[in-house]
Amino acid sequence: MLWVDKYRPKTLDKVMVHEDVAQNLKKLVTEQDCPHLLFYGPSGSGKKTLIMALLRQMFGAAADKVKVENKTWKVDAGSRTIDLELTTLSSTHHVEMNPSDAGFQDRYIVQEIIKEMAKNRPIDTKGKKGFKVLVLNEVDKLSREAQHSLRRTMEKYSASCRLILCCNSSSKVTEAIRSRCLNVRINAPTEEQIVKVLEFIGKKEGLQLPPGFAARVAEKSNRSLRRAILSFETCRVQQYPFTSNQAIPPMDWEEYVSVIASDIMKEQSPKRLFQVRGKLYELLINCIPPEMILKRLLAELLKKLDAELKHEVCHWAAYYEHRMRLGQKAIFHLEAFVAKFMSIYKEFLIATFG
Amino acid sequence: MGKRDAVVVLSSDEEEEDWKPNKNSRSKLSSSVPQANPEVAKKKKKARFSSSVPRSRSSRVDQFEHLGDEFDEALRAFNGSIGYVKNQRKELWVDKYKPQSLEELAVHKKKVEEVKMWFEQRLRTPKEEFDSYVLVISGPAGVGKSATVHMIASHLGAGLCEWKTPIPTLWQEHVHNSSSGIRYTSKLDEFENFVERTRKYISLSGESKSSIILLIDDLPVSNGKFAYGRLQNCLRVLVQSTRTPTAILVTEYGNTETADRTARSIEELVLSLESAGACKVLFNPVTLNSIKRTLSRICRLEQCNVTAGEIDLIAKASGGDIRHAITSLQYYTLKPETSFSSPSSNGALACFEEKTVDLNSLDVEASLPFGRDETLSLFHALGKFLHNKRDTENAVTSDHDRFHLREKFRRLPLKMEAPEKVLSQAHGQARPVVDFLHENVLDFIRDENIDDAWTVASYLSEADFLLASSRGTITRSYEAESVLQSTAVSVAVRGVLFGNSNPLSSRWHAIRRPKIWQVEQSSVCNKFEMMKQRFTAYDGLSSSNLSHVAMEHRHVLKWLGSRPYGNGVLTQGNDTEGNKVDGMTSEGQQCEASEDEIEDW
Repeated sequence: MLWVDKYRPKTLDKVMVHEDVAQNLKKLVTEQDCPHLLFYGPSGSGKKTLIMALLRQMFGAAADKVKVENKTWKVDAGSRTIDLELTTLSSTHHVEMNPSDAGFQDRYIVQEIIKEMAKNRPIDTKGKKGFKVLVLNEVDKLSREAQHSLRRTMEKYSASCRLILCCNSSSKVTEAIRSRCLNVRINAPTEEQIVKVLEFIGKKEGLQLPPGFAARVAEKSNRSLRRAILSFETCRVQQYPFTSNQAIPPMDWEEYVSVIASDIMKEQSPKRLFQVRGKLYELLINCIPPEMILKRLLAELLKKLDAELKHEVCHWAAYYEHRMRLGQKAIFHLEAFVAKFMSIYKEFLIATFG
Repeated sequence: MGKRDAVVVLSSDEEEEDWKPNKNSRSKLSSSVPQANPEVAKKKKKARFSSSVPRSRSSRVDQFEHLGDEFDEALRAFNGSIGYVKNQRKELWVDKYKPQSLEELAVHKKKVEEVKMWFEQRLRTPKEEFDSYVLVISGPAGVGKSATVHMIASHLGAGLCEWKTPIPTLWQEHVHNSSSGIRYTSKLDEFENFVERTRKYISLSGESKSSIILLIDDLPVSNGKFAYGRLQNCLRVLVQSTRTPTAILVTEYGNTETADRTARSIEELVLSLESAGACKVLFNPVTLNSIKRTLSRICRLEQCNVTAGEIDLIAKASGGDIRHAITSLQYYTLKPETSFSSPSSNGALACFEEKTVDLNSLDVEASLPFGRDETLSLFHALGKFLHNKRDTENAVTSDHDRFHLREKFRRLPLKMEAPEKVLSQAHGQARPVVDFLHENVLDFIRDENIDDAWTVASYLSEADFLLASSRGTITRSYEAESVLQSTAVSVAVRGVLFGNSNPLSSRWHAIRRPKIWQVEQSSVCNKFEMMKQRFTAYDGLSSSNLSHVAMEHRHVLKWLGSRPYGNGVLTQGNDTEGNKVDGMTSEGQQCEASEDEIEDW
């Protein structure tokens, strides 16, 4: 088991990073009245951990017994029925899913499946009607229609069902949903907090940490706790005992993106563009989200760029990021960005060096 | 049978009324017709009908006799009318102007000569042994394959022993036949019998009378492997054993992408015949000039005035199919005649002619009332777009004075029809066309023109956006969807054409299958695999976002060298790039099964 999972706090009391939030949540649950919740914050800040711990607090150990289901739902959409396949994670008390996986049909997931689930509510030991908890991930990726129907579902079934929504950016969640939930912002942990966690893990694993090493890992992690722990473990595999100047291996796909970036800087031609496309395909095959590729690529390119071009390049990156969201096949837009960059950069080179 | 049926229908009253003026109008055209006949018949019949109105009381027998009489009358009238139609129209022009001599054939002289020589050698010198006595003549429909063989046979004075595919048996017919004791024989059986008979019979009697040509005009359709095998076998035997010059005509369904099994199996058949020792002659589509020559000859004989331009148009529209061209011509000359009587039609005719001239200058054939459907294969169309052939000079310079385009927007005129039309001919679906263009377009852009590459890429991105928005909501109407789709593909195609401002000089390029399809499939495979591994490895304790797994967890797992993924993706190593490539290849294999599907497409 990876350390990320092994040392994930199981209860709200054991949480190390957002103690205050955890305590508040505990109070909230023990008072028996849990509103809908919306967790938002950057990735690797501990949203999921908090949610899991919260569920455990609510339902006890029963929440741990989960099963994975890959179920096909038949949804009746007016004139025809649609088959939707969705992976869900469920215990007796809660169901967790990622409705945006259904792509442009996410609306039906929200409407039908949630409705269905909300209908059969569990009865607790005292014969009192309890409620089910529905955990929805990546709510910000839901389409507008889906968010609207989510809102309606929320109102209609609020007696029997509690929603816990989780997303990175609340700006992409409609106002209507946000106002119906208790918004919980989870900040990215500070580097000191990360260091604390890493030292805790180190102690548990019985590792010798040279001074400053944990700080370096934390610094590299971009304030993502998950990433910090993962790369900490990588370092452990790479070399132990640690030395304080040990290199921290970067994520392979990031390295690959930087290779692409330097490819782009070296030559600007259709042929090179074609090679770049091949490399982008490889990233896509490995399921790296295209938005992340674009973001990373932009960062890598900006590092090597003259200040006067940065503004324009950023503009185009934003433009194609939007296109990508609207479009269907990411590669078209990624490639258009690369081509535009090449075109700008070549012009710049010619203008400067003749 | 058919005639009698028709008569029964005709003897009802209204029909008669309708029928009459029609005939009269026709009979005006020719005076040689016995006009009185139908009129008389009609009057008589009218009288009879009126007399037989109190039918209920008159005896059945009487009625029946009346009917019988009527029937005879009508039959006579009908026969007369048939004859008259025949006199007037003679036949279809295709039959009427069947070539009467070798010179009249529209097929290329050399081709005819070649085939003639082949037969001549085998007929004139029967003692000599030749390698093969079977000639496979293949070519598209309507290029004069049968006509050539017929002409040559009559030219050489040889008898023609012909196999023609019999008329298929209808079910009712079959029921009728079987009740009367006739056994049903499949067409394939009949064909086999025919071959067998001719082989034995002709080779026996052929010694004395050497000049017989065996002609197999249409191979029987064979469905299923077994029947196909029988047909193939039968033909092979024929090829190997016959000593009679035999011509097998095969119609090619050539470039259309129907690619159904029959077309393919016929190709195979031809190959197997060739391997058995048959000669093969390929007939090309008839050239424009010889079609024009034939058409103008017919026009001369028919004394109808069709301008050379119109003939040219018809010939072009026929696509090398002379039968089609002649039918079109007949239809075309028919048209002004019918509208001749009305006074306004003169104007209309003039207008029509003007229009055709107009069309001629524009070279648009599709708006004519005839013309074969020209289909292109998808790859042909893609090739057109990608190669982006343009005229070397801008012919219409005068247009430039009117609106002055900036240099960077100026393009030479395209050397093809409107891209949308080409697309519609190729039956291209929007998404695959866009994918194909995206995959291949970079090969056709000059190395120094990265700006062009961007223009193209941006248009493709635009097209993708349009395609995606058509998938948005399901309640949307299909029409809107199809409009969006065609817009998207039009944007993509025109973007590719416009963007590549300075296309490479044409050279041979293989068009690749879009890699994106493979990528999508393997990424789905991978995704599923990743999630599964993640869940099983950690008892589903937590669910992580797929992106996190892909971006971060996998990397660590790779380092750990623990192999919960179970396949060869996770090879340890420092060279991440190498790692990636490794992973790619093994994944490629994983998805090979699904790839095949694509290739089939």
